[in-house]
Parts: sequence; C-alpha cells; structure tokens
Amino acid sequence: MKADPKSVLTGVYYIDGDVAAGWGALAAGCKFIAGYPITPSTEAAEAFARVAPKAGAIFIQMEDELASIAAVLGAAWGGAKAMTITSGPGYSLMMETIGYGAMLETPFVLLNVQRGGPSTGVPTKTGQADMMQSRWGSHGDYEIIAISPDSPQEMFDYTIKAFNLAEKYRCPVMIMADECVGHMTEKVVIPAADEIEIEPRNFYKGSAEEYLPFKPGSDLIPQIAKAGDGLNLFISGLAHNEKGYPVKKDEPRGIYLKRLIDKIQKNKDKIIELKEEETENCEVVVVSYGISSRVAIKGIDMAREKGIKVGNLRLVTVWPFPDEKIRELANRVKAFVVPEINYGQIVFEIERCCDGKANVVLVPHGGAGVHNPQDICDAIELGAQKEKKSEGIIEFKTRLEKLVFEGNWSAKE
Amino acid sequence: MSTFIETLANGIKESGINPQKISITSDIPFRPEDIKYLGVDYFHTNRGRAVAFGTGLKLTNPSLKVIPIIGDLITLGGNHLVHAGRRNMELTVICINSFIYREIAHKSAPETTTKFSAYSTFEEPFNIPHLANSCGAVYTARWTALHTDELAKSITEALQKNGLSVIEVLAPGLNYYQGIDKIESSLLNFYYENSEIKEGIEPRETEIRNDQKIIIGRFTTLERPTYLDTYNAQLTRVLGDKFIPYSGAVAEPKKEGE
Amino acid sequence: METLTTRNTYHPMENLLRMDRLPHIWCPGCGIGIAVTTLAAALDKAQVDLNNVCIVSGIGCTGRVAGYVKLDSFHTTHGRAIPFATGIKLANPNLKVIVFSGDGDLLAIGGNHFIHAARRNIDMVVICVNNFIYAMTGGQVAPTTPLTAYATTSPYGCVEPPFNIPYIADSAGAVYVARWTALHVRRLATSIVEALHKTGFSLIEVISPCAQYYSRINRLGDGIDMMRFYHTNAEIRHGENTKNLDIPFQSNIICGKFVDRERPSYTERYNKWRTQIKGEDNEG
Repeated sequence: MKADPKSVLTGVYYIDGDVAAGWGALAAGCKFIAGYPITPSTEAAEAFARVAPKAGAIFIQMEDELASIAAVLGAAWGGAKAMTITSGPGYSLMMETIGYGAMLETPFVLLNVQRGGPSTGVPTKTGQADMMQSRWGSHGDYEIIAISPDSPQEMFDYTIKAFNLAEKYRCPVMIMADECVGHMTEKVVIPAADEIEIEPRNFYKGSAEEYLPFKPGSDLIPQIAKAGDGLNLFISGLAHNEKGYPVKKDEPRGIYLKRLIDKIQKNKDKIIELKEEETENCEVVVVSYGISSRVAIKGIDMAREKGIKVGNLRLVTVWPFPDEKIRELANRVKAFVVPEINYGQIVFEIERCCDGKANVVLVPHGGAGVHNPQDICDAIELGAQKEKKSEGIIEFKTRLEKLVFEGNWSAKE
Repeated sequence: MSTFIETLANGIKESGINPQKISITSDIPFRPEDIKYLGVDYFHTNRGRAVAFGTGLKLTNPSLKVIPIIGDLITLGGNHLVHAGRRNMELTVICINSFIYREIAHKSAPETTTKFSAYSTFEEPFNIPHLANSCGAVYTARWTALHTDELAKSITEALQKNGLSVIEVLAPGLNYYQGIDKIESSLLNFYYENSEIKEGIEPRETEIRNDQKIIIGRFTTLERPTYLDTYNAQLTRVLGDKFIPYSGAVAEPKKEGE
Repeated sequence: METLTTRNTYHPMENLLRMDRLPHIWCPGCGIGIAVTTLAAALDKAQVDLNNVCIVSGIGCTGRVAGYVKLDSFHTTHGRAIPFATGIKLANPNLKVIVFSGDGDLLAIGGNHFIHAARRNIDMVVICVNNFIYAMTGGQVAPTTPLTAYATTSPYGCVEPPFNIPYIADSAGAVYVARWTALHVRRLATSIVEALHKTGFSLIEVISPCAQYYSRINRLGDGIDMMRFYHTNAEIRHGENTKNLDIPFQSNIICGKFVDRERPSYTERYNKWRTQIKGEDNEG
C-alpha cells in the first residue's frame, strides 16, 4: 500500500532527527501519538503535534510515560497505528507495559532518543546505554525488533520501516536513536507519497464465531482484530491460549512463548538490515550502530591510511542480533572493533558469536559525547597487531580516560 | 453468574448501546464466560493502566463506549483517573472498592475480620466521589454491590453521559482470579445494612467514616465538553480550513492480495 | 564577570543558601528564586532546627531548588519527590520534610503520589511552584496550562482544562491548603511558617512567572509584566471554597489560605493502631 498524500510532507528540508522521526511517523500512517516531554526526544512529539491536526491525526500529551505507553497499546487495539516517544527515565518507566505489548502481540513503535544515564544522568547529551534494556528490559522472555538510525534522513526512513515491521510481525519495534542523531540537523529528502511503501494492518475479516486472536498463520503471525467489531475479544496479559483465554491447569503452560520467540527468530533473515563495506577481504571489522557508526567512518579512514585492511559493518537492525553474519566474519578476521557509547553492551553479543575465533576490542565511552575517531583508529591498530586468537574482550583505554585517570585533568582545562 | 456481572449486563442493556461497541478495560481478571455473556470486548491490562489504556482505545475509535473497571483502590492508577477527569475523557469508570471499609468491618462486624489481615487498616480511605468531582468528572455515584437495581441504573446513566463518569462500587473480598464473582456475603450484607442513600449530596460530605453510615447514591451530574469536543473546537478556531476534524485513528485494513 | 561567589561580601541568607552554587540556573524574570528566598526567610522565622529539616525536589526548573538550599537536600527522579519524602519522614518522624517542586513534577507524573500522600496525611510541606508550563524541557503543555494557552506540544492552543490544584489537594485530604503568587512574598512566608508548624499534609501553591517560555510563547511580556499582572489580578479570599479556584487564561487569580483543619497524620494513626493491636507496652 502507498502512503496517504495528506500525511507526507514531500520536499527537501533541513531539519533535525527528532522532527524527521515525527514526520516519518505521520508518513507511515501513524495517527496516534501519546507522549510525555523528556529531553532529548521532545522535539519529535512537538513536530508531530504541529502537523497532526492537518492530517486527521492526534497527539495527546499524557500525564506520564506509564500512561503514554498504555494509551498507545489501547490505540493499537482500537485499530490505530500508534507510537510513543521517550528517552532515559521515561523508557525505564515504560518497561512493564512494553512486556504487556509483547505478550499481546501488539504492533506499536517506540522512539527512544537515548541520553546519558543512569537515572537523570546527562539529559542533554548522548548515550547508547539502553541497548540491552531495549531487548531485556521488561520482565519475562520476549522478542522485539530494534533499529538504530544514524542520521536525520534515516530517522525519517527507518521510522516508516519500524511501522512496517511492527505491522508485519505484530510486535513492539524500538527506534533506538540517540541524542546526537535526534538533535543533528541535516538535509532530509521526503519523497512523494507514492514512493513510500507502507504495510497496512492485517485485520481479521472472517466470522466472529471462528475468530481466534492468537492463532498464527503459516508465517507464525496471527491476524489482528480491533475493538468494536463484534468479535467479543478477550485479551489478557495472562498466559493465554489461541482464543486469548487464560490457560487452565490442564493445558500446557508456557508453550505460547515459543511462538513469540520464533516469529522473530525464524523471520530474522527478512527483518535484519545491515550495511557492509569492504568486509570481504579485511583483517579487522568495525561493528557499530547509531551515531557511533558515523564517527567510526573517520576512524576507519584513518586506519586505512595506515595500510590496515578494515571492514565496516553497521548494525541498522540491532535486535534481533545478526548472529550468522558475525559468526561468518569471525572465521576470517583477526579482530572486531566495537565502539559504543557505554561500557560494553552489544560487544558481549559479538564476543558470544565469535566463540573464541577472533579478538573483540571494545572502545567504550561513558556518554555525554561521541568517540574521538583517533581512539577508534588506535583500537583498529591494536586489533590488527594481535595474533588471531581470542583474548576475550579487550577494553581499549581512550584518550579521555588516560587524561582523567592518569593525567592531571581539571575542569578549568 | 455473579451479581455484579448481571448488574453490569442490565445496565448495558438499559442504556440501549450495542454491547459490540462496548469495551471493558480492566486490571481485574474477568472470566471468559462472563465476557461472552456480556457480549463486549475485554482487555485485561497490566495493573493500574485500565484508564490510560481506555483513553487510547476511546481516542482511536470515538464510536466505542469504554468501561474501565478498576480495583485495588485506585492505588496504581489514581493518577490516570484524575487526569482523565481533567481532560473529561469519555470513559465510564467503575471503581471496585474492596479495601477501604475494612476498618469499620474490623470494629463493627468482628465475625468477618478473621479473613482479612489487619494490614493497612490504619490508613484513611479516599473519598472517591469527591476526588473524582474535584478533578472534573461529570457523573459520580456510589453503591454497594447489593444495590443491584440502583447500580444498574447508575451504569445506564453513566453510559449515556458524555465525559468521565465514576461509579464507586463497594464490594469486599475481591478474589483475584475469580474476579468480582466471589464476594464475602456476610461483609457485603453488613455494607448493605449500614448504608444510607443520600442522592445529590455535596461530594465533600460523602466521606466514609466509621462513626456514621456509608453514604451512597448518585452524587453529582453535570455537563462539560469532552476532550474531543474541546480539541475539535479549539483547532477549528485556530486552524480553520486547514484542520481536519479528528474522528478517529483506525488504520486502513489490508486488502486482498496486498 | 564577577560572580557572587567571588565577591567577598555578606549575604543575609548565607546560612540557608549554598552560596558556592550561585549563580543559579533560572532565567531572568523567573519566580522560582523568589520562592526560594521566601522559603529561606520562612525557615528563619519559623524557628525550626535547620539540622532537622530536609528538602526534596523532583525534576524540572523547580526541581533544582534542593540544590541551592543549605539543608539536607535531595534531587530525586521525575515525579518521585513525594514518595521519596514519605520514606524520609517515616524513617525518621522527627524530621521536618519540605517537598519543593513544580506543577508538572508534582501533578502530572507525580499526581498519584500527590493524592495518596494527601490521603495518608503524611506530615510534610509541599510547595508547588506553578508556572503553567514545562519550562526545563522547553515549554510543553502542563496539566496546569490554562485552556487555549499556547505551548510547544499544544501549538494550536491547549485543549485540556487545567487542574485546580487546591481543590485536588483538599479533596484528597490535605490539612492545609494555600495559594499565593510570587508577588505575595510576605504572605507566602507566613503560610510556609504555618505549614511548617502544622502536622499533616500541607500544600502551598506558588503561582510564578515563566518569562522565558510561558510568557514568551503566549506573548505576555517578561517577568516584571507578569508581576504587574499579579498585582492587578490577584484577589485574596481566605477560606474560599476550593471548588472555585480555577485559573482560566489570564484572568483573576484567587489567593489566600483555603483549608486549615485537623486530621490525624499517618504517623499518628499508625501509632494509635499499633497500640491497639500490640498494647501499650510495645509503643515506639
């Protein structure tokens, strides 16, 4: 299905990533955003609030993040494509209800513009430390999809993609942006409506008697219903059977979970999007996502000038994790270099997939800023110098850390 | 079939609203048989979020009537309730109060006390109708679960009202999985006998106190524009022709072969 | 530029303010600073042992208050100032606990804690600075923003009626409810003193100008214009029924002390209940 021309602000703009995401949501057919102001994600909500009334959509500012996400789930079950926008502490507050959404197989999108943490942390500066939380934050076992854009243009494009994935796989889709991408102002090209492909909602159309809200099709995804169609829905966060009824003592419990996991894991090939460059014949691969992948480009260039063969692998989709790709690369490269704005999250996934076949160098960053490309270049050099065997995760000591912990750094400088 | 479900069914029937257009959102688990009997859609939300979930549902499809049924003395969802009142979101909130009156039960009906722990009995309860009224609810009432006819009538009236209605139902001994089905009959009888109907009384005066009878009845009813009324009026005023009046956010369905 | 910290002069509130943290972050024309100095004056006047006073703030412009007052101060997470303060109070009932936060923090995300603390009648003084907007995040609509007023997330005018904060506090069970503007510093100080001596949940709403966001977005002039507005439009009506205290956009602001009553506080009820259950021996 093509996008609705009323919702697409076709043109060339110079806007920031947050605004691009807000407009992207509208283009994707999102008619309902519930949110709560939190730096640095607020601009996305503001942008949507500005354009929504002219496109028949609505923005409601709820009383807190708990209410925002609950209203989004309500909207999704009312039949809307819905999204919420948050950051840092707000994301933590939403966790319980994200699990509820995963349990109900509710399609919705969540934009998290990551900031420095923990707690209030550094609200106005960047971070990438919610990556594991996005995957494991709610209690219980479940699967979600997470995308990590690295430019305002991608904020627009991948917000649309996030909605399409949510519709297709009936699961929460997180856009794991970060403050740098959210507040970065760049050229954004918004194509004509007929160039934007959007996934319509797969509503159930059969008879009420035969309807089973959680009975999957061949692709493991059930057709969704909406309230008010006479289907006598019974939707519960309790462990339920295909009918949605809570499982009884004599029914096998926990078995529903298998499909919640499988519908993502078995469709991994269709979901995962990676951007690769010169990975065919290299000794070191830099694996990055979000804003770090923009910084990594400079670091890689610097290392290439020194004659090191460096490949660049960008995780556009972070969850589900591209295990196969990393395994395949681990067989032939010496080391992976992983710059991320935290003290090690995705790097552990890479180490797991390496399985002792290659070294993994972590270039950490405590947040509130991005990497120094020189650090990434040095880490690549370090990786290239090592013998091809696993020393586990090698934590690279950055220039800033050396300065603060070993030198005489003071605030005045 | 439990008394409460029957009362609810009667209330819905009398309102003349097609049950297919009614959604119940609740953090209390209902039984599938009850929902089938009512003929409504039912969403068992996570704790405390029934009103916020209902807000999303109602805004997406304004033709729905949404009935959030909340328990647990609005402990988790209290904020959502007061904000829904402020916005005058069109919801018919039924607040099952199973907790606050135990202190009186503790003192005056000792035979019922063994079932309850003394935990929390020293806390003072909310005056729910007054709280609802103070945040802008357009309809407030309180009944015991045994006042079936009156409660059904209140449900009917509330469903016909535009805006946030709050009906407090005193129903002790809420058994978690069985829902509102298993009611401690002796305590309920005690509530029934110790209540006094005072319709139209100022909500401030309806506090539940242990030195007087529980005041029940319909307390307030008023007219206020709903959230969507205000929204559409304000945006029409400011944006004029550029504004597409909001009438719901239901997505386009997938067509055959897409 | 010479700052207060480098100037070697005496400040009359040095014993109550963290002079080493000045200058503060608030914009010119903001009313929060006034509220803070009024609090300092009130603490002076109330003759309380400052070592026994704690101040708790949430997030937002007003959330920064705790950081400038020389008491045991806690800058908590968004909306959680009241439950944090509840913990302090119950852990050590001898402490005087002041919650100093904004309208968004206390009434939006913290709304549930607000009504529940009032219901329980936890002994604390809540000073709610109401500037009608979320200022720290850049001017979003708040649950106190008057109908039709502009904010960045209500770019075409606010569509949600605002809370009447004194009415909510009253209906939830507060024992002391007052409202003043940032102009009524002496009356505000008196109210804070009264509230400090009161046992139970006291709420004082302070209407404060937000020159940078609320006034700018709504073209109401700067801080001094707002003060002039308060001067002509504030009306003192002690004992007014809290039902009548709505503040429509740019209209009369009714100020005064509205509620002053007695209700057993949470600690008192708890101790009474405990004595009933366990007998006199186990008191304490």
